[in-house]
Amino acid sequence: MSPELLAAGVALGAVMLYAMFGGADFGGGVWSLLASGPRKDEQRLALERAIGPVWETNHVWLILLVVTLFTVFPAAYAVIFEALYLPLFIALLGIVARGAAFAFRHYGRRDSRLAAQSLRWFSWASLATPFFFGTVIGAVTAGHLEVEGTRVLSGPFEGWLRPFALMCGLIGMLICAFLAAAYMVPRTEGALREDFRRRAIGASLALGAATTLAIPVAAADAGRFAERLDDVRAVGAMALTAVLGLTGLWALWARRYRLAPLLAGATVAGVVATWGLAQHPYLLADALTYEEAAAARATVSAFLVALPIGALILVPSLLLLYLTFSREKLRGEETAH
Amino acid sequence: MGWDTLLSARALMGLSLVFHMFFTPLGIGLPLLLFIVEGLGLKTGDPRYRELARSWTPIVGLLFAVGAVSGTVLSFELGLLWPRFMAYAGGIIGMPFSLEGFAFFTEAIFLALYIYGWNRLSPLAHWLTTIPLVVSSAMSAVFVISANAWMNTPDGFRVVNGEVVDVDPWDAMFNAAWLHQAVHGTLASYVVTGFTVGAVYAWLIWRKVPAVNPKLGLQVAMAMAAVSIPLQIVAGDFAARRVAELQPVKFAAMEGQYGTERGAPLRIGGIPMDGETRFAIEIPRLLSYLGYRDFDAEVLGLNDVPEDERPNELLTHLSFQVMVGGGFALLFLAGWYWVASWRRRREAWLPGRALTWALVAGGFVSFAALQTGWFVTEFGRQPWVVYGYLRTSEGVTEQDGILGFFILFTALYVVISIALVTALLRWPHNGPKREPAARPAGSEVPGVA
Repeated sequence: MSPELLAAGVALGAVMLYAMFGGADFGGGVWSLLASGPRKDEQRLALERAIGPVWETNHVWLILLVVTLFTVFPAAYAVIFEALYLPLFIALLGIVARGAAFAFRHYGRRDSRLAAQSLRWFSWASLATPFFFGTVIGAVTAGHLEVEGTRVLSGPFEGWLRPFALMCGLIGMLICAFLAAAYMVPRTEGALREDFRRRAIGASLALGAATTLAIPVAAADAGRFAERLDDVRAVGAMALTAVLGLTGLWALWARRYRLAPLLAGATVAGVVATWGLAQHPYLLADALTYEEAAAARATVSAFLVALPIGALILVPSLLLLYLTFSREKLRGEETAH
Repeated sequence: MGWDTLLSARALMGLSLVFHMFFTPLGIGLPLLLFIVEGLGLKTGDPRYRELARSWTPIVGLLFAVGAVSGTVLSFELGLLWPRFMAYAGGIIGMPFSLEGFAFFTEAIFLALYIYGWNRLSPLAHWLTTIPLVVSSAMSAVFVISANAWMNTPDGFRVVNGEVVDVDPWDAMFNAAWLHQAVHGTLASYVVTGFTVGAVYAWLIWRKVPAVNPKLGLQVAMAMAAVSIPLQIVAGDFAARRVAELQPVKFAAMEGQYGTERGAPLRIGGIPMDGETRFAIEIPRLLSYLGYRDFDAEVLGLNDVPEDERPNELLTHLSFQVMVGGGFALLFLAGWYWVASWRRRREAWLPGRALTWALVAGGFVSFAALQTGWFVTEFGRQPWVVYGYLRTSEGVTEQDGILGFFILFTALYVVISIALVTALLRWPHNGPKREPAARPAGSEVPGVA
């Protein structure tokens, strides 16, 4: 395995972790927007409590992905960001609005107008951002972007407004909603838990339907990607993902509260892994492979040396963080008053 | 010069950097202050220290959050606005950015443990979380500044027939400007934090706003200010000498030096325009000494630099004057505060009217000095993005509509700034000021009174 391939694996891993953790975070905003029924406020508060300690950490996976891209695959970073600057700029506006709004609501006074306004910004931005990120994934997959070396020939609206890219945007939103609801199930109790359980089941069905539907859409709009899906490893990954997804659905149905979020996370990891396998060897489909886009070997090697050293500090710290905060039940009432 | 893509991209990048730079110094400096305050609390057993640190928690959380998203903006904009530059430089200077990613990650994790750990961790464990915070936030700054330093003194690669070859990411990271920029840029955060926190407490005390141990807060902050500002001035002198050696053109622009001469005078103030620096106070031969430690050393003048390789000397010089003037004003302010406080060593001493206003102004001046310091680095490097290798105009995107995003981001930052000021003005009213030590376990949201 070449260092470049290993580094591409790291980038895929960052996408996966961002989807699993950052995705759940966005999903919290989605369910804040869609909060309904008699326990509307309790739902929102419990979501906020769950997100509070971990949201910054969850979003560092995105930073890790961006720095991996521009250190190891600078050509791909430059081309993708230049070609897809519109959806990426919109997603960026969403990230800023969402992060700031969350902070104002979370650290400020709850009864203020600022807090009410912030909730609105936070919720809408949480819905929009994963959609636009999804369209970017769709656009780099479908192979409609034209480049010459590192120069972009396509116009600003090309690639990301096509059916497959829009489908990926939808999948992005559903991944977030599914994960957030599934992760909330073991962390809440009673009627509130039932609320999230029902939402998780609904989102799981929707996500299953959308990913299944994405295959014929890909065949029509992203032909070569669809061909690569026929590869034996991609088929294996798809089958495994489907099994994980169905088991997760069963776990939610059968009220296996501890098991359900693990399977939900694994399902999403499987979706991303399948995409990654079918995308191989391209970073930008039909235009730029990971080998063409790679930086000098010295840089790739240095990056791969730094990675485990960094992980040695990061992984125990992350475990400490999640273990400290995931054991408590989240109630939907104000305890701080 | 119309609003073309280049100018729009520079404006948007500059706006994003300035906005980000309001949060980073506090994100780096506050952990050190928390480390000191909680450490003193453990050492003396005086509960006031812990209460003081705790009262800052919502502020730290808020500032760090906005700092984190504004940093994400920068990592995106490098690609969105400067794809040609990143395609050129990403593989060479990506290393410090990756390491910064790790440092920032560590910081985010321990910040969460710190903020939400008041009831879950023992006082000792809670204090211990500030150590990785101090280290990782300072490391973040050092790594990012190292990447910026590379743009000033590129190293660790060769260009053969327009192709970048022989890349050595470690040489690139530890380039010639790395040390002086990292030291000067990181110390600036401690200066800003000391004077800003001092300014807040001076104001609260003067207006008699109820707050948690404001006198103690003022003392600790001013102690940090008084230690960091002299160090910063020494580091600044070191940085100036390195710039004189490594980037003489930038040095000439900073000092408003047009003619190449021996025994060049130091110009304080003045307006460099059309080949002459007017209205400056000139101190004979001092510039030669400051730049090269020799009163007769030759200083390069802008007139001997081709027109298309000169930075904008007006912006560079004026920014430099604000930074240096601000630095010395802060040194004076720290001295004033401590002399006044020492002369009236009574428990009841509080700063008088004049000192209060000066302290409040000091908070603003410290930020002005930090921002203009970055203006000097950035304006002074122009027209290059990679000094001597790649022009800024060659690094920019070819896409249209950047001006629109500049306007959108300006609007968004204005909204956030208004919200931020609103939220900060409510502090310390919604801080845990009445709060007893025994808060019910599971109260997760800090700062909710």
